[in-house]
Amino acid sequence: MNGFSPSTHLIVTLACPLLGAVVAWVIGSRGLSAIRQSAVVTTLVTLVLAGWLVMRYLASPEAAVGEPYAVASFPWLVSSPVDGGAGGFDIRLSLGLDGLSLWLFALSALLSLTAVLVSWEAVKDRAIGFYSLLLVLESAMLGVFAARDLILFYVFFEFTLVPLFFLIGIWGHDDRRRAAAKFFVYTLAGSVLAFLGLLTIVLWNASHTGSLSFDIATLTAGLAAHPIPMTAESGWLQMWVFLALLAGFAIKVPIFPFHTWLPLAHVEAPTAGSVDLAGVMLKIGMYGFLRFSLPMLPEASAAAAPWLVALGVVGILYGALVALAQTDLKRLVAYSSVSHMGYCVMGLFALEPVAIEGANLQLINHGLSSAGLFALVGMIYERFHTRSIANLGGIASKAPWLAVLFMIFTFSSIGLPGLNGFVGEFLILAGTFQRAWAGAPASIAAAYLAMAILAVLGVVLGAWYMLSAVERVLFGPSREPPGHGSRGHGDHGHAPHGHDHHAGQHAAAKHPLDLAWFEWAALLPLVIFVFWIGLAPGTFLRPAASAVRDATLASRDAFATRVAADSPAGAVAKPDAREVTLEGKP
Amino acid sequence: MPVSTPTLQALVPALPLAAAILTMLLGRRLGHRAHLPAVFGIAGAAVAAVMLLLSTHAIATHEIASHGADAGHGDPHSAAAAFQTAKRFDSPATLWHWATIDEAIVPSPAATPPGTPLSAPNAGGSAAAIPFSIPIQLRLDPLTATMLALVTCVGLLVAIYSIGYMSHDPDYARFFSLVALFVFSMTMLVSATNFLVVYVFWEAVGACSYLLIGFWFRKPEAARAAKKAFLVNRVGDFGLAIAVFLIWMTYGTLNFHDVTLADGSLQPGVLGVTRLEEPGRIVGGAIGTVICLCLLLAACGKSAQAPLHVWLPDAMEGPTPASSLIHAATMVTAGIYLVARCAPLFEACPGALVAVSLVGAVTALLAGLIATVQNDLKRVLAYSTISQLGYMFVSLGTGTLLGFTAAIFHLVTHAFFKALLFMGAGSVMHSMGGVIDMRRFGGLRRIMPITAATFLVGSLALAGVPPFAGFFSKDEILASLHAKAFPGGHDGHHEPSTVATVLQPVGFSARLAANPTNTPATNWLDGLDRPTVWRAIWWMAILTAGLTAFYTFRAVFMTFSGPERVPEEAAGHDHAHGGSGPHESPPVMTIPLCILAAASAVSGWWLFSTHALSDFLAVTPSLAAPAVAATAVPHAFHVDIAIQGTLAAAIGIAVAAIGHLGRRSDGPQMERFLGPLEWLFANRFFIDQLYSAFVVKPLEALAFVAAAFDRFVIDGTVDAVGRLPVAAGSLVRGLQSGLVQRYALAGASGVLLIVLALFWRLRG
Repeated sequence: MNGFSPSTHLIVTLACPLLGAVVAWVIGSRGLSAIRQSAVVTTLVTLVLAGWLVMRYLASPEAAVGEPYAVASFPWLVSSPVDGGAGGFDIRLSLGLDGLSLWLFALSALLSLTAVLVSWEAVKDRAIGFYSLLLVLESAMLGVFAARDLILFYVFFEFTLVPLFFLIGIWGHDDRRRAAAKFFVYTLAGSVLAFLGLLTIVLWNASHTGSLSFDIATLTAGLAAHPIPMTAESGWLQMWVFLALLAGFAIKVPIFPFHTWLPLAHVEAPTAGSVDLAGVMLKIGMYGFLRFSLPMLPEASAAAAPWLVALGVVGILYGALVALAQTDLKRLVAYSSVSHMGYCVMGLFALEPVAIEGANLQLINHGLSSAGLFALVGMIYERFHTRSIANLGGIASKAPWLAVLFMIFTFSSIGLPGLNGFVGEFLILAGTFQRAWAGAPASIAAAYLAMAILAVLGVVLGAWYMLSAVERVLFGPSREPPGHGSRGHGDHGHAPHGHDHHAGQHAAAKHPLDLAWFEWAALLPLVIFVFWIGLAPGTFLRPAASAVRDATLASRDAFATRVAADSPAGAVAKPDAREVTLEGKP
Repeated sequence: MPVSTPTLQALVPALPLAAAILTMLLGRRLGHRAHLPAVFGIAGAAVAAVMLLLSTHAIATHEIASHGADAGHGDPHSAAAAFQTAKRFDSPATLWHWATIDEAIVPSPAATPPGTPLSAPNAGGSAAAIPFSIPIQLRLDPLTATMLALVTCVGLLVAIYSIGYMSHDPDYARFFSLVALFVFSMTMLVSATNFLVVYVFWEAVGACSYLLIGFWFRKPEAARAAKKAFLVNRVGDFGLAIAVFLIWMTYGTLNFHDVTLADGSLQPGVLGVTRLEEPGRIVGGAIGTVICLCLLLAACGKSAQAPLHVWLPDAMEGPTPASSLIHAATMVTAGIYLVARCAPLFEACPGALVAVSLVGAVTALLAGLIATVQNDLKRVLAYSTISQLGYMFVSLGTGTLLGFTAAIFHLVTHAFFKALLFMGAGSVMHSMGGVIDMRRFGGLRRIMPITAATFLVGSLALAGVPPFAGFFSKDEILASLHAKAFPGGHDGHHEPSTVATVLQPVGFSARLAANPTNTPATNWLDGLDRPTVWRAIWWMAILTAGLTAFYTFRAVFMTFSGPERVPEEAAGHDHAHGGSGPHESPPVMTIPLCILAAASAVSGWWLFSTHALSDFLAVTPSLAAPAVAATAVPHAFHVDIAIQGTLAAAIGIAVAAIGHLGRRSDGPQMERFLGPLEWLFANRFFIDQLYSAFVVKPLEALAFVAAAFDRFVIDGTVDAVGRLPVAAGSLVRGLQSGLVQRYALAGASGVLLIVLALFWRLRG
């Protein structure tokens, strides 16, 4: 390609939002519309660049063999070896994409556009700061998934917190300061522990190879050659490292019982913050498991897997039950995230190819559906100034298209076949069942089967809380929140926001509360992917397949060893390493 | 121009789908022409489906004759010939690949005991890794062709009828869009040839049903009924999901048909001819029974069988044409279709078959009893639907070829007469200003003669009065049941096929495979397969036949006979028609009624006398499987059975006539003779209340407790831990200088210390 090499392409994509943030500052004096227009243009350009990069990746020879693509590597913090001993630092600005990060990278770019568009009318106060922070956040999110250096990853990982902290703390709702502080401190506390674990990995590798490398691929290879010991005499060191990483990633995901920052942060966050938080930030924890814990600490992962499957199932049911008791629509969606991320955790730690593929895809699915739902909840709040389920009602009469989109994302969330949510859920459950039925250690096989069945029950509960909310919020007679606005059809004189008049479609004449153009623009791309993934999941499973297979192979083997050790002698041979390819034939 | 069969197969679902999307997008722009895409789309699908039915029938007739001749026995209807013919129908048309996961299961070498490959369910398959392959394919066999023609033809009549019925609705376009979407989903469901695809469209028809029940979403009752329907169906779907997972684990494939893999080896489908050819390749025993019971749970959800029947009566909140199409004629028969399709699986598990019949018989009786005291015309019909579906389950549970074909026969005739009755009720409702309480009607036959006459035909068919359609299909059901209840009477008793080993020999399967048949629960269930139980089912079925005739004619007499009474809502509700007051419905509504009335009158006799349907269905691979085909009996008309059935119907009609013919419908009711039973029936055996008390309320309480636990215990702990540093900080307040740089320095040096300590330790 004439000069625009993939590496340059990736760097430009990452830098684009940062540049946009600077532009927003520069033109800030020209007023609100200039700022938000520049933000939309920036995110749109970034999305186009990211989408183009994804297409180039898919067409590249690297994708076919599962190699990283668009690799760029520059020295950053490098020191020569001192006193001839084990090497100096070699921290690099090392970037690249592979099957693990590809879709999450694209999702971050997509949801950033959504985040800007849902703020179109909602944020007018200190807009320069708001949009700049959103754009900085976008760069950080893209960077997390593109980083190929451990320190760089951690820097981006932590750096996503800062803009989000300010977004929640400044543009949030009433209890925003407490929410921002809790979110920041809680996740920071976890990630400091994770950092310790990551450093231990680096040092262990250095002590065996002699060079202090921070390159993730080198570390993975190094730890495969010299695994951290997982024996009593070594003090179960690998397990401790795993637990340290778990602390960081489990809070991020969040895994029950480390989830309580999430509802608070969501409820208080501005809509854009919720979109990025639910859509991308939660995925970073799962990405961390896939990138670090499973490939680098296989024995500990295998040992912990049954517990994490159990925590996943608890999360599914517990999140669903708590969601059922919520009276605040946004809190309900937040708890549904806890439930849905439970599926991802369960699927990943089922350590069964079908389930892992499903979990990996479910990250994207949940990103789309929860971001869509949070965006819609925000739109409802802007119109009716309440999120109380009891005070809302009959929105389908007042804003039919809003209701239609709410239904689509609800159906996606509850796993209706034909939409994206079903694919992930089905593969996760099928794989977990496979694990429970055929591949669980004999001593806990019954518990595994019970967990698999309970997880299927979660599908029923999921439909219950979502459809109950839909019944009360969308359906029923047209109702106005107390002390607010118009009553019934045709009398919308008190439309809460000016933006209703911007909507120039003919439908708006009849339903002035229905979606405005920027809201359509925010949601329509998500809807397209909701259907696309649902109808042709192979397209999305295939590019990730080999990377996911490689990342989890060691842990799957370790688990198989445990199963074999647990079986009555000779009854079951140790299963071969399972080579799995997911592919959708067009 | 001849159109290829795969094209026709694709057109059947594609045309309604295109119509649905078109109507959805154009919406209001179409105005009062919004029905056009749906009507023409479904009409096109109906034409294609009928062409497919005819071509399939031609193939079946031709092949079975030639195979019969080849086999050398002059009997063209021999089981062998049927199975040879069935092989013709085991190759589906592929649309696209949903997803393929190669080598999803790698069987461990030690797991497959040597010497058993042919009796194993994966017999004939490669011993290599098994792919998880989900192609979207359409199958075509007699069962599918029958269902396709039925769904599209009834769908077309309902769509035409809706032009009149829905004409005043502001959401006219949305209705037709949803109906077309439903026809698409339902045709895909019966064309699917993979359990996952079945699951997909199983839920898709449920979603259409949800959206149509909640069509008038401004009514809180409609919104609630829609949610209830979806949730109860989800419980059934839970069963289907478990069944799908178990089938995947047990058979290593989800395809119905045999597939030739890329390496040339054959992967036998769950219901493919390779597997069906030999008895013992279907898994029985505990695993098989659990799979069948899960399938039964799914069928109970969709087909509104006890204890999951509670959603269907509430579903009557939807528009009546939707009730007619979805909640009477087609969607609710999906459970029957599923069990019939999986006949070979059930055949291997006698206990599961008895369970099917028992569920059906209990439901039929329960719903029949409840229907006798309902005063809402649509609810009478809803309970009647539940009851008749129960009848079909009874028939399926006999596990004989006659039982399976009789169930589908009844499914077909029931679709005609129940769609007719619902549309008749809709016609009454349309004319009476939306009132559907029979106590407020009387003598409507003079106001709406066509509706009354066609309703009467439908009622005669439902009640099982000869020679109307319901009589013949019900008679076949009773005949199949009679053979089980009184063995030696009309045919021999069949032996259930044996149990096979299972595929996945690790974990549970290994333990179950070691001793596959014997678990106490399945032994108990299998033990129910004895004539005493079948005799009980027989008498329940006969009683239900009487009840059916009673409640049907009670409704007919209350609504159409006696002094003329019209509710006041009927007067002048209908400004659009120029004239006010009660009136006969427009031709666009009455013509579909007449067509269905004709079908209800003659289809039974025609299909029964020619055996066209039963011979045709018998070459469906699932029903031509030797295990099923072995239970075939010669076609016969048993006068004794017919007399018992007709007698029951006659008594029912007579009682209804005594109580209601010519009387005011709001007068004293028959029910007062029932005493406390009336209270029990009117409250629907308190099943809804039981659910509320034992499922809904406890779960809601648990949710409340969980939310409180989350807030106070989990989050409380987090906050307490969060305050620890503050508390600790107050002890060392002196260190707090407020200078951020100093904090940063302290933090950085702390991390550095830890790193160095670790480094040293690891190097040493």
